[in-house]
Amino acid sequence: MSDTTAPIWIDPTDSQHPETPAREVPTNPYLPHQVTWDETTRFRPKMYLVGRLRYYYKWPGHGGALWTRTRYWPTRRRVLNIHGEYNPKTMRREKTIVDKRPIWWMLALAAFFLMPLFVPVSSYNTVMSAASVFAIYAAINLCWMLVVGTAGIFSLATYAVVGAAAYGTTYMAITLGLPWWVLPFAGMLIGLAFGVLIALPAMRLDGFYYALLTLGVVELCRVYVVQSRQFGSATGGLYGAPSYLPAWLSQSNRLLLGYYVAVLLMILALALYRFVDGKRLGRLLRMAQEKKEGFAQACGVDFIRARIMVFLISSAALGFIGGFYATHFGGASPNLFSFDTLLLSLAMLVIGGIGRAEGAVAGTLIVVFIDRVLIDLGPLRFVLIGAIMLGVVLFLRGGIFGIKSQFRAWRDKKKSERRSTRAEKGGEMLPEEATEVEDKDQVYFRRFDKMQRDFLKRLVSDAVIAEHKSKPLGQHSEALERLLIYFRRQGQIDKYAIMVLEEFKAYRIVALSGHRGTAPRMVEDRNYETPDEAYHALFLRRVQDLLET
Amino acid sequence: MAEKKIFGYADKISVKPGDDISFYVHADGTDIVDAQLVRLIHGDAHPAGPGYKEEEIANEANGVWRVRKQFTQVGSFLTVADPEQRLALNGSFSLCTFVHPNSPGGGRRQCLLGKWDAFGNRGYGLWLNPDGFLEFGFGDGHEVDYLDAEVPVLKNNWYFVAATFDAKTGVATLYQEGVATRYNSLLSKVANVDFRSHVRETLRFRPVNPPEIPFLLAGARDHHTLRGDFVTQCLNGKLDRPAVFDRVLTRDELDRYRDSGLAPQNGLVAYWDTAEGYSAQGIGDRVIDAGPYGLHAEGYNRPVRAQTGFNWQGKDDCFRLAPEQYGGIEFHDDAIIDCKWELTRTIKVPDLKSGAYAFRLRTGDAKGMREEYIVFFVRPVKPKAPILFLVPTGSYLAYANEHLSFDAEIMQPLAGQSPILSEVDIELYQTAEFGLSLYDHHADGAGVCYSTYRRPILNMRPKARMSSMGVTWQFPADLSIIAWLEHQGYDYEITTDEDLHRDGVGALKPYSVVLSGTHPEYVSEAMLDATEDYIASGGRFIYLGGNGFYWNVGYHGDDPWCMEVRKLNSGMRAWQARPGEYYLATTGQKSGLWKDLGRPPQKVFGVGFISEGFDSARPFRRMPDSWHRRASWMMEGIEGEIIGDFGLAQGAAGGIEIDRYDLTLGTPPHSLIVASSGGHSDNYQTVVEEVLYPYPGLSGSHDYRVRADMVYFTAPNDGAVFSTGSIAFSQSLPYKNFDNNVSRLLGNIVTAFSKPGKLPGWAWSAEEKQWR
Repeated sequence: MSDTTAPIWIDPTDSQHPETPAREVPTNPYLPHQVTWDETTRFRPKMYLVGRLRYYYKWPGHGGALWTRTRYWPTRRRVLNIHGEYNPKTMRREKTIVDKRPIWWMLALAAFFLMPLFVPVSSYNTVMSAASVFAIYAAINLCWMLVVGTAGIFSLATYAVVGAAAYGTTYMAITLGLPWWVLPFAGMLIGLAFGVLIALPAMRLDGFYYALLTLGVVELCRVYVVQSRQFGSATGGLYGAPSYLPAWLSQSNRLLLGYYVAVLLMILALALYRFVDGKRLGRLLRMAQEKKEGFAQACGVDFIRARIMVFLISSAALGFIGGFYATHFGGASPNLFSFDTLLLSLAMLVIGGIGRAEGAVAGTLIVVFIDRVLIDLGPLRFVLIGAIMLGVVLFLRGGIFGIKSQFRAWRDKKKSERRSTRAEKGGEMLPEEATEVEDKDQVYFRRFDKMQRDFLKRLVSDAVIAEHKSKPLGQHSEALERLLIYFRRQGQIDKYAIMVLEEFKAYRIVALSGHRGTAPRMVEDRNYETPDEAYHALFLRRVQDLLET
Repeated sequence: MAEKKIFGYADKISVKPGDDISFYVHADGTDIVDAQLVRLIHGDAHPAGPGYKEEEIANEANGVWRVRKQFTQVGSFLTVADPEQRLALNGSFSLCTFVHPNSPGGGRRQCLLGKWDAFGNRGYGLWLNPDGFLEFGFGDGHEVDYLDAEVPVLKNNWYFVAATFDAKTGVATLYQEGVATRYNSLLSKVANVDFRSHVRETLRFRPVNPPEIPFLLAGARDHHTLRGDFVTQCLNGKLDRPAVFDRVLTRDELDRYRDSGLAPQNGLVAYWDTAEGYSAQGIGDRVIDAGPYGLHAEGYNRPVRAQTGFNWQGKDDCFRLAPEQYGGIEFHDDAIIDCKWELTRTIKVPDLKSGAYAFRLRTGDAKGMREEYIVFFVRPVKPKAPILFLVPTGSYLAYANEHLSFDAEIMQPLAGQSPILSEVDIELYQTAEFGLSLYDHHADGAGVCYSTYRRPILNMRPKARMSSMGVTWQFPADLSIIAWLEHQGYDYEITTDEDLHRDGVGALKPYSVVLSGTHPEYVSEAMLDATEDYIASGGRFIYLGGNGFYWNVGYHGDDPWCMEVRKLNSGMRAWQARPGEYYLATTGQKSGLWKDLGRPPQKVFGVGFISEGFDSARPFRRMPDSWHRRASWMMEGIEGEIIGDFGLAQGAAGGIEIDRYDLTLGTPPHSLIVASSGGHSDNYQTVVEEVLYPYPGLSGSHDYRVRADMVYFTAPNDGAVFSTGSIAFSQSLPYKNFDNNVSRLLGNIVTAFSKPGKLPGWAWSAEEKQWR
């Protein structure tokens, strides 16, 4: 205080005790508490109008009418996950489709089925064969996604499994004369065996080392088939597997049928993805991703078993696809094991977004389209794919399908940045903030609390601190009493309290949790010998907290 | 090994030599404790007093007790004995109930009714799901199938909800409608809330109903390897007139049920008429089934009866006037009435001197939670002494296990200080099994109206201090009176509120003088009647505290360990009963302040509550009437006018909670004010029941009424009352080893009161003819 003649406060209660002199202590000059209210006449930040126009239709609730809900037979799953709610701005009953993905999938599948109708005749061959390739690759990528996305294990052995199954079944078809419909199932067995093989090292290796190992396996396979005469080192691939396409079909109808069968394969892969990712196994795996195994194990999750399961399931499925690949293309080529196939597939996953089925399919669609349809671009195609991949890696966190959540997170970040630069800390709410507060009483509380704190800060002086030290409990001067009443009225969360270590000997300062059942936390490890010392130390902490806000 | 902890309780609070008393002990981290019977003498370790004192008593039960970890069923619900498995509904069925959810959602599932095994997913039930939606579901032991409503239920509004299930087609239909009247719910119709939801869905399989799964209302069966079966998913809220049918009810039938509260008879399996069985003397724990099989439900942990129902119209404010509007039965998932632990030890009370006793249990270093006192009071087989200390056990129950420092935002400004918490306080806060006091709220926001001693009471032990106020409170404070009687060598005995409530005036009659506790705040009508009759018939009563005889409480005849209060619109109250819920379910009486019932404490004791403050206390100063010979004998041996400028409670005898003389409230007109405190701090605010309009100036430094009065008056047949008007008074007695003027003053009075015949100063009653 700059005041040289500090005013003296006389304890009014001592008037009832005239024999002893009344307690007198130096205090602050009087300052009316309205001062902050009178000084504040306008909002410091610029206030913008808020409110968002409802420009789209929102279904009303059913009210008294009976709402019959339907399920996907025979599951418990509802056709659409519709959430009923009260609009907090009007209390109108509304309905929201929480998960619109089923709608998008239905539209996408319809588009896949109708697509051949709209392909220009001039590029029919190119597009239709590319479309089949897309569907097969999408199926492969979905199975791969179970390992890379759901289980979070960076395995690159996918094409080793597919290729092994394709080569194996072709070889068996040639040597044993198997009919075409046996090939996928034979492939499945080969895939299963391969799955066991690659699952074993996954028990010990993880991350980068496992990726390296699986890459080695793929390379090994490639070198093997390139050098093996039995697997057609001379012909650049092994051909001669029986085709499921009837020989009498015309070329264009062969393409069409091939395409639909490949789409069917993709739908099967989607179903598999759904049944692994969306059910118990998927939940276990997502809980036990890399670096989180310890936590999962502590929770009772047998993650090793879950990982073996997912390897076996996805490898069997990849083997099935390999068998199908053989009958679809009439054989297998070493290209399956090549590094560029692997890289292109990786690009598909990354572009679409790791960990989601729609990511695998859309990523495949984009890459295959560029690779197989825009053939005219020549080698520039790969530059384009590379550029897209680079862009995705640089700017997106979850691929194309992560854009929505990434955008929202970015908007939230911007929002809080702008708010923190515009609004005063702990000060009055902005209209934007007020829209997010259900209890409007809290909006006023923030105003009141801000005024109060700004006023109380001016009351903190050496005089009131000295007064508190001389008598922590009991009647106090106006200034000190105001500070104390404010401090004592604070909410329970993180409110200071004293903990007794030994009665009348040792005390400590703690902070309450404000949550029933949760113990207070220690604030400092200093001990105070008397309650009065502890009261004063606690007061100083509160004063410091006040001045810091 | 876990941290060591011991907690326990006894099945009785008041015994005579020869009675059996059973102890129930829970232990963590150890399976043996050292037990020692002790007589408790002084409970306050404050350095200004004589310190903590107890006397070890030889007993055959002393020594090592084998103890174990105990489990407690928390939460109230209704059980239904159903030996014939009427409720194992294997065909079509309907479940209906009115419900007033107190706190739906919040991530907790709450069961309304059903035969549901939450551990094994078997049976069926109607629930509020963790998101606060009405949900019907069932399980077959592997899987659960369920159907939820369109919108969540909103808290504190009445609904009628139902689920019907057609076993042939698997079609389940949910029915949810708002049934609020203008009086009984949170929201008015102007709030534009459409509460309705009717949803239908075909479920995939049928429930299995094994006979070992009980039908429960407001709870569900669960299982734990160590603990065995218990009840979980308890409801926070009220139910009204639930029913079960063995067929599918139509929408029309449900609409009629919703409007009337009457269940259709066709296909009725059970209809619990929650408004049935009420009497003018109160309501029990049994809920009558008015259906064909008489499947009556029994309350566990005492669901709160006499609550307003779905159809409360506001005109009749008591269940006695319109029982059909009072079908509400309220449940809380943190209610606890009786821990029902496994018995640890039963002893026959030996021939002990009347007093406060405890079994002291110790383990490890015997500090904090490693030491437990299970307190009980021994009254004489036959009253012999002239002096009786009346232990206010009812008030101990009221404050039993209070959480104010942790939960009540108002506590720091009210007490004018920051709390001083002990390890035991923190343990209490962390442990739901020890229950709540009548000063706490249930987690759903409703006030706690029942408190019992069939649970460990961590603040009814010696050495305990009230964390929010930094002083001893209730039992440990009252030990200062026992220590004083002991130190002064008086021949005294004790008895408790429980005995007074049961035996009436007969419990006091044999004694010349009765001393109250420091804060006998909660009294039943029987207790107040008995005290009044005792004084009127020549008894002498010393009211040694403040804020006494304040709340009207009720007890059931058959379980004296459980006390009920309803806190109404007036008084210094920690919570507020809902409109219409002002009457005690245990007795049918209106609860609230005795003052508001026409019996302010001034009428019997000369003083009544005026103010409270906890940051400081003030001494008394003699009032001129103390020089009148009617009262001057009290002051023998006291020098000067100041009395009690010292003490264990904030350093003086006048304070904490203080009472005042008031002719307008019935202080007997011939009463004298012997001494008064004054100069109280502004933390002392005038109590709300004395405030019509609050205005600046209703606190200690402004309002002359804020003071403690020592009042003395004579009663018929040589009876008399002396009231100290202050809680802190008795905590000044032990100062300087009982050698002080408060002790001397009380000594003069007790000595005079305990002698039969005329009181000193009785003859100085002629009209005054003064020259000075």
